[in-house]
Amino acid sequence: MAVSKVLPPALAQRVGKFRQTANWRQSLDVWVPAGILVLLVFACFFGPFIASVPGPNAGSLLDARLPLFSPGHILGTDAIGNDLLSRALYGGRISIEVGLGSMLIGFVVGGSLGILGGYRGGILDIVIMRLLDMFLAFPSIILAFVVATFLGANEINVIFAISFFTVPAFARLARATTLQLRERGFVVATRLLGSRERDVLMRHVVPNVIPSLMTYGLLTVAIAMFIEAALSFLGLGIPAPQPSWGSTIASGQQYLSDAPWIVLVPSVFLFIAVASLNSLGNALRTRIESH
Amino acid sequence: MIFPIVGRRFLQFLPVVIGVTFITFLLLNLLPGDTAVAILGTSATPASIALLRRQLGLNEPLLVRYWHWLTHALSGNLGHSLITQQPVTTVLAQRVPVTLELLILAFLIALVFAVPVAVLAARQPKGIIDRLSATAAMFGLAIPNFVLGLVLILLFAQHFHFFPATGFSALGSGLGPNLRSLLLPALTISFALFAAYSRMLRADMMQQLAQEEYVITARAKGVGEPRILIRHVLRNSLFSLITIVGVNFGTLIGATVIVESIFALPGIGSLLVSAVYNRDVTVTQGVVVILAVVTVTVNLVTDLLYLVLDPRVRYGSL
Amino acid sequence: MSEQYSSSKTDSRTPGARTELLGGPTTANTHSSALLEVRDLRINFHLQHSIVPAVQGVTFSVNPGQTVGIIGESGSGKSVTARAIMGLLPKKTAEVLGSVRFGGKELIGLSDREMRQHRGRDIVLVFQDPMRSLNPTMRIGTQIAEALHSHQEISRADAHSRVIDLLKMVRIPSAEQRSREYPHQLSGGMRQRVMIAMALSCGPKVLIADEPTTALDVTTQAQIMELLRELQRELDMAVVLISHDMGLAAMYTDEVAVMYAGRVVEQAMTTRLFKHVRMPYTRALLDSIPRLEHPSLEPLSVVRGRPPDLSALPPGCPFSPRCHFAQAKCEEPPVLETTAEGDRFACWFPL
Repeated sequence: MAVSKVLPPALAQRVGKFRQTANWRQSLDVWVPAGILVLLVFACFFGPFIASVPGPNAGSLLDARLPLFSPGHILGTDAIGNDLLSRALYGGRISIEVGLGSMLIGFVVGGSLGILGGYRGGILDIVIMRLLDMFLAFPSIILAFVVATFLGANEINVIFAISFFTVPAFARLARATTLQLRERGFVVATRLLGSRERDVLMRHVVPNVIPSLMTYGLLTVAIAMFIEAALSFLGLGIPAPQPSWGSTIASGQQYLSDAPWIVLVPSVFLFIAVASLNSLGNALRTRIESH
Repeated sequence: MIFPIVGRRFLQFLPVVIGVTFITFLLLNLLPGDTAVAILGTSATPASIALLRRQLGLNEPLLVRYWHWLTHALSGNLGHSLITQQPVTTVLAQRVPVTLELLILAFLIALVFAVPVAVLAARQPKGIIDRLSATAAMFGLAIPNFVLGLVLILLFAQHFHFFPATGFSALGSGLGPNLRSLLLPALTISFALFAAYSRMLRADMMQQLAQEEYVITARAKGVGEPRILIRHVLRNSLFSLITIVGVNFGTLIGATVIVESIFALPGIGSLLVSAVYNRDVTVTQGVVVILAVVTVTVNLVTDLLYLVLDPRVRYGSL
Repeated sequence: MSEQYSSSKTDSRTPGARTELLGGPTTANTHSSALLEVRDLRINFHLQHSIVPAVQGVTFSVNPGQTVGIIGESGSGKSVTARAIMGLLPKKTAEVLGSVRFGGKELIGLSDREMRQHRGRDIVLVFQDPMRSLNPTMRIGTQIAEALHSHQEISRADAHSRVIDLLKMVRIPSAEQRSREYPHQLSGGMRQRVMIAMALSCGPKVLIADEPTTALDVTTQAQIMELLRELQRELDMAVVLISHDMGLAAMYTDEVAVMYAGRVVEQAMTTRLFKHVRMPYTRALLDSIPRLEHPSLEPLSVVRGRPPDLSALPPGCPFSPRCHFAQAKCEEPPVLETTAEGDRFACWFPL
């Protein structure tokens, strides 16, 4: 509300709600999605070793399209008899790897370009931003198409393709945050005091840009997982024998009315992953913004 | 006063379009795969491949070929499809209107729902509508459009037979069948848009209510809360929404690729998928160029729209 | 306003509120026929972990044609007081106690709907920063007309001609054209005139001006103040002038209440106050006015130290840590004493 305008700043910051809520309840919005994500990562990477799960391609046609809760196949089987839980877990590995991989490339490359352009300004900034504008002008999924199909579809190339989207996106955010920071008192002061440029960048700019990049990183992982699934759904992502959420959904497309669980199981996994990443990202962002 | 700004924006727009087409050209020409081989097939003799390469001008340096392509493209000639031999411009002219209609419909549906929901949510934060719309938005942003599309087909086409599952009925054969064939795909796209727009609009309105002094002035005048929300706050928040719409246009086109394939709509999205599958380089290039130009144009138009709508920008005080 | 905090009769005293400082509602300044009567107004902000007493007992009243100044540094509680009178404080965090009467009618505890009847019609507010206080995307004519439409059934054409009259009344040239312009097209002084026109649109009885000229340059400042004074005489309004500027108070007020750390530390008729200042804080504020007769070599004096943190006030006189004259006795809260003339001051060692 409007308290901030009425009270001196030191006070306004502390204005909160009338009712007192316990601390643990306020941080639920962080811990619930974070817990789900940890659980999901653990299940995908270690689950198959702990509970014995059939191989993702070990099914036989005799077991095709078994429904949920079938003996031996708790989440049912797909059109050619592969265990859906197994495919979801192994597919989750690929999804997580692609999501993290393309996010990290975007974080490091895009973040550096954005900070550099925003801090230095001038020609360097113009050139960087115009180049990135061009990459953003390509719809991300189409760019990924072109790269993946002409370079050949495999996990590394999919990561590379999705990075064409993550790099400019991170760069824009890093640049905007750096520009705001550059005008802030403490940065201006250190610059005027004659600190070396590299020191100002590393000690004052970078540490303050990183938090917002990290929360944005969570959203980016979610978007990258989405794009990976979409590419695999269209048959342009992870090639056939490897399990992927997107390709499993595609394989169930024609059995939608008889065996909806083939589409449902990987979709629910994708939904849980993306929804948790989004909520965690939003919860952290609200926290950073209120500081 | 508005014209210098338009001119400046236009000057920024040209290099981006040229850069985009050049990157497309680079990608398609530098990546593995020989156009001549793609046309003649792998069983062709080296001599005939060499001949075709010369005929297509493939032996020339890349920059020269790009220049040829650019001058041809500027005169409206995007080449011929390697598969069907149709001129690419003719193919595009058939496909673009379908995608355009789909996007406009999706956009309208999203806005028609997002604006009132955002206003009601901002009127009572943490109220019922706010919580419901937050949940809906969470689903909208986390359900992939290809899954949503499949579910909609299953429910409304195969189960209830409300709509045709797939296929397209052109506007020429009547508005009714046309809308019926586009409604499910448009709904599929609009759900995520609704989610994004409603939350963004709500957040922006809440921020204005909390921070903007003119809201307090309006209250001090004795203006009622509903009117403050709609006449003052919503009006100003819509300006921010316009920029978001422009920025998000790229993802919107990405969504049409998927949705057109699922619903078998003859738009440019499905054209691109089939062109990529068939290694039809000229058509792929044509589609990417069109999409890039459209994306850049939309960004330009939203910038200009902003200029026309927001008096602060209009009179150059910002 | 949630019920438990709305009642003016609530007896709950906030932690740390020292009522002896106020001496309760005094009779000294109570005019039986006062138009706006504020009595023992107390405002507490409920924060996440603490309660901050932002205003602790403000009492004053204004009659038609009269001007009362509320003077103090930023953070002294003067703007909060203005917004509390208007019922504009956020209901979730601000607890308002005491009494605000308009024409005898109690305003504290009114519902938002009832309060809206008075806001903008009987009592109006002019803000400090006219740029931020006007909606940047709405024509100024529309913004003024909005105030009219909120309080009366009036046709668009009538509203428009009334808007033009109002703009002429605040001496805005080519009013017809100006009414179609946006706030950023006007100068700061013009914008403040628009704010005043908007405030006057429904013929208010009380005008609260919250630092109305702080954002303006000195020449414009004088013009706006003169305009306000003329309009006050013409419309027989009661004016509450909120400012940090003692000079402004000296020229334009009939009575002054000096606020420090959320409480009134000295209150007197303006003519008497400037003849005989009793509270050292008032003295310090007076000394901070730049004066022509001062030799320019002498450094401009400012009030030493910083405004206090309201949530951690010293036990005694809140001004004592910054006071040149503070002694051991100042560790005890001073009593708000009333002089024979009815002036009041809170100081153990008046000047």
